[in-house]
Amino acid sequence: MPALIAASSLRTCLGDGARTFAALLNGRTGVRELRHPLAGRLNVTAGYQIDEPAPGAALRAGAWLRECVAEALARAAVDPRRARVVALVGTGLRELAAVEELALTGAATAPSRLHFGPAVRDAAPGLAEVVTIANACSAGGHALALAQDLIDAGEADAVVVGAADTMTASMLAMIGKVAPTPTAQVRPFDRDRTGVLLGEGAAALVVVPEDWTGPAVGRLLATGLSCDAVHETAPDLDGICRAMRDAWARSRRGPEEVDLVVAHGTGTALNDPTECAALLRCLPRPGAPLITAVKGAVGHLSGAAALANLDVALRCLASGMVPPVVGLVHPLPEGDGLTFVRDVRARRGVTLAQVNAFGFGGVNAVTLVEAP
Amino acid sequence: MTGTQTPPAAGAAPASLAVGAAPGSTPATAVAITSWSIHLPAPPTSTTTPCSAAPTSPGGRAGATSAPGFGTAVAGLPPVDPACPSDRAHTLLGRKGLLYKEPATRLALCAVHRALGLPDGVRPDATLDARTAVVAASNLGNVGTVIDVTRAVAREGSRGVSPMAAPNASSNVIASSVALWFRLGGPNLMVCSGETAGLDALALGTLLLRAGRADRVLVVGAEPDDETAVAVRRGPAATPPLRAGAACVVLEPAARAAAPLATLTVGPAVRRRADVPPWPAGPRVVVGPGHLDPAAAWGDCYGAQGVLQTALAARLVAEGADGVAVLCGGDDDGWRTALLTPATPTGRQP
Repeated sequence: MPALIAASSLRTCLGDGARTFAALLNGRTGVRELRHPLAGRLNVTAGYQIDEPAPGAALRAGAWLRECVAEALARAAVDPRRARVVALVGTGLRELAAVEELALTGAATAPSRLHFGPAVRDAAPGLAEVVTIANACSAGGHALALAQDLIDAGEADAVVVGAADTMTASMLAMIGKVAPTPTAQVRPFDRDRTGVLLGEGAAALVVVPEDWTGPAVGRLLATGLSCDAVHETAPDLDGICRAMRDAWARSRRGPEEVDLVVAHGTGTALNDPTECAALLRCLPRPGAPLITAVKGAVGHLSGAAALANLDVALRCLASGMVPPVVGLVHPLPEGDGLTFVRDVRARRGVTLAQVNAFGFGGVNAVTLVEAP
Repeated sequence: MTGTQTPPAAGAAPASLAVGAAPGSTPATAVAITSWSIHLPAPPTSTTTPCSAAPTSPGGRAGATSAPGFGTAVAGLPPVDPACPSDRAHTLLGRKGLLYKEPATRLALCAVHRALGLPDGVRPDATLDARTAVVAASNLGNVGTVIDVTRAVAREGSRGVSPMAAPNASSNVIASSVALWFRLGGPNLMVCSGETAGLDALALGTLLLRAGRADRVLVVGAEPDDETAVAVRRGPAATPPLRAGAACVVLEPAARAAAPLATLTVGPAVRRRADVPPWPAGPRVVVGPGHLDPAAAWGDCYGAQGVLQTALAARLVAEGADGVAVLCGGDDDGWRTALLTPATPTGRQP
């Protein structure tokens, strides 16, 4: 059954959800020189970082998540002391930066802070159940799927879906390891793309049943899930297509109704052609929907990427404007036949948006959402 | 074994255990446990045993034990034979593909291998099963890699880092490794919510079945107990100590389960132990702190503990207990409960 999204809150290097969307519409990017205690040793020189708390401070992701959860609950007017509210948190790298701090300086962190329990409970007094899933770069999409399942099963009156990520030295080192030269900017779907860069941020939204009478910013149709079970890190066309078809089947809507795709678009050698191939294979009229992607502007938010994409999709549905793919100059040949939004915003009313998120380990989540 | 009838928690009045759907909602699809395994390596001081002698799982492998069991310190706990440690996982899983796998991933693979009843030393050559989901529970599974890579970068820059460690830098490596190893293409979740992670994983497993996202869910918990993991958890002086181990519980819809061992209901999470709903009327066995407590006897498997306790409870139910409650959690992350009851005859809901 569809559910409603009562509120959505976002933090990226470009600001809150409204500021991020405004910057995207204007084609701005938030990429800057990397600030990290080990910068200079990582073969990564740039990133999309949030200034406060400053890079290097402890438990930053939890601080942004706390803000987003508090804001989303306030906007939704949901009080966990008076309703059955469950929180599901999706994250790629948890607060593993704090574990790295232990390695470098010996400073220990309370283990419960690594998975955001205290951060969410601080923001949501009365909320007892916080379940954190570490599902790589599609964690937020997986949390969203489970939130809708909980609402469908009648197990909660409202579900707070949160996601948060900051950078870790260990993941930066892996990105630096596979890049021949450091990437200057994420360029989703560009033929000359050079790889991914990490972003930082958090998001939270409140999912409620369809008969909810409070505020609503979107109608959540369905999220399809799949696991490739093919390769540890590389994406797989069949696995991604299974998630897309699962989303459409669960929503009881046809793929021909999709008129906006907020793509995963990581700017890596493998993701972008595979994502194009999946859209070309699974969409009956692949050229019909507009395709945009945000990672050139805000970086790869890892576990928060899906919810960041969703926040942008909701703003597209509400405003009739779709931001361009920041960083895209020459579309990749594998994208022939797809309609990327380029250079300037598109003004077109869109009614049904598809949000893609794919992660390490072949974990895929595809969400369908429309205006409330 | 002799299932000790443990009294209810202090202050508890006989009442129905408030688990599952709220009043007025659609009745939940009953979920059956159809297999389980416990893979608890012997402490390092013990004689190493090959896996073929080791873990418990339904159907037993009785008589295969070549080393003394452990865990008899708490009366009423069924004996658990020591399993192979992570560096001997190849005796169970076969040699190929284990080289860069972390200890917790290896233990998780061992537990799943056992729960699926696969023969020793053979890696399954399976086609993709898109209707089986994996829900893994672990908090410390990849902290070893994270710390090693960080120290290597600090010491010699990125050239000190092996790209083969890349999959381990991602916190979902256990769940995705199980999917890849056994070719399971259903939803794949990695739960890392601390002390309740094991029962959280079982709750999400039942949710996946109810939502029609899978026909079968493998819930697997695994934790390491290397120096890094111990330091991150709460230090070497913690009581009970962190203990490496893994367990697996297989879930299927009760209506379709050919050979159900027990029916599983997972309750909601609560913040304080005093908030745990009362146990159902009548004497019950309770597996958990203050009751029949495997952590007190064998050490604490942290994120895997709830899965291990549920596997033990499934065994107690299969051996004749008329109902076993599981209590899992701690002061950091709150508490969660599950209730296991005898399965009704094949393919029928209670």
